[in-house]
Amino acid sequence: MIRLSPQMRSAIQRTTLPILVLLSAVFIVLGKADQLLFDSLRTRVSDSAAPVLDALARPLNAVNDVVDHVRLAVMTYQENVRLEAENSRLMQWQQAARNLAAENRELRGLLKAVPQTALSYVTAPVIANSGGAFVRMILINAGSEDHVSRGEAAITGEGLVGRLTEVGERASRVLLITDLNSRIPVTIESTHVPAVLAGDNSERPRLQYLPSAGSAKIGDRIITSGEGGVFPPGLPVGVVTAIDSTGPRVEPYVELSELSYVLVVDYGLARSLPQPLPMLSRPNKHARSAGEAAATH
Amino acid sequence: MALKVFSIPALPRVNNSAARLLPVATTLLAAVISVLPVQIPGYAALTPVFTLMAAYHWTIYRPDLLPPAALFAVGLSEDLLAGSPVGVNALLLLLARVAVLSYRRYFVNRNFPFVWTGFALLTVLAMFALWLLHCILNLSLLDFRNAVIRAALTVAIFPVASFMLGRAQRAVMGTG
Repeated sequence: MIRLSPQMRSAIQRTTLPILVLLSAVFIVLGKADQLLFDSLRTRVSDSAAPVLDALARPLNAVNDVVDHVRLAVMTYQENVRLEAENSRLMQWQQAARNLAAENRELRGLLKAVPQTALSYVTAPVIANSGGAFVRMILINAGSEDHVSRGEAAITGEGLVGRLTEVGERASRVLLITDLNSRIPVTIESTHVPAVLAGDNSERPRLQYLPSAGSAKIGDRIITSGEGGVFPPGLPVGVVTAIDSTGPRVEPYVELSELSYVLVVDYGLARSLPQPLPMLSRPNKHARSAGEAAATH
Repeated sequence: MALKVFSIPALPRVNNSAARLLPVATTLLAAVISVLPVQIPGYAALTPVFTLMAAYHWTIYRPDLLPPAALFAVGLSEDLLAGSPVGVNALLLLLARVAVLSYRRYFVNRNFPFVWTGFALLTVLAMFALWLLHCILNLSLLDFRNAVIRAALTVAIFPVASFMLGRAQRAVMGTG
């Protein structure tokens, strides 16, 4: 260790704190001015922390499972009654779905319709969440090594979770649909009216840019529109449950605070597009990284 | 902003490296715990500020072993991991240190309710500052209800964290 004179030492001690405070403030301002500045650092930190977080999340999942088991054991009777009712309802739906599928097949045959693009999925465990009142993000244990790319949709069996905003080698960050910065092109399923689902950090994001105030009604199902080309159309998002002064509010189908696994949907488009998010600020860098992405896949 | 530096009185020397690393290690652990995906409805938005608890505890009892550089590094790693704007948590922890050090002499050797009250004041101030900062960064008035609940949860859990940190401190350093 280097020996410092007491004066020197106390001078260093006096100045580090103000310098670090200033540095933090500068980081905040710089990060705000250029959203991409810390991206690679973030990705590297997430990548290296991924194995540790994954290891810690596993026992946590086990604990969550035990809690679930206990809850289910306690509620078996009510749960059984509910499931029986649901089952008989679903049997009717199954019948309806079979009829529709057959009819659909026939009609497609008549129209010679082109089949929809096949989707492929990557399943990834959730290893961290954002922990704070002002950001809604999760970190998942899948990255470019697992062939996921920036801009792809993260879903569960119930519906849309969010969009991949940063992709590292092993870990990726998903911006949840409830985050303040999330904007998803959607449509109202029954009427095909387009809108944008805008998060505001609350549990229920709101519908924006509807052609008229009365376009959405309580109970309307909201699905992705596929506009912008990165998300597949028709992913279930949520249902309009309230209409307040800021517009219709959409309750997501996915319980976003109880995620343990998500599926990343590869629609085959995200990779062929330029980087989807802040592409306006640094065209050169994006052209290069899109080229790299194309080269690696 | 005038940042006075308050002289840290001589504390008993610790020579074993486990004891020297304990404050930094526990504060870093607090940062990791706060990003773990606990599946309680609404938990993510209301996660208690574990790093603030550790920073407060160590700044009162062993400020010499949790220097500003360590707080800066832990805050920065938390920001990078959690996806919050880079620098926010670093700034928060450093300012907490300034605030706590300036009143430290009132807290040392006081009973726990007194220390707890001090932490409650600090948390309320910190959450308010955090809310204000995010409002400025997003250029909009954000809902502060979550921040209020988060502050309440943080204050409520502090005794547990304080007890565990105190235990660890006694076990590893032999001083309380």
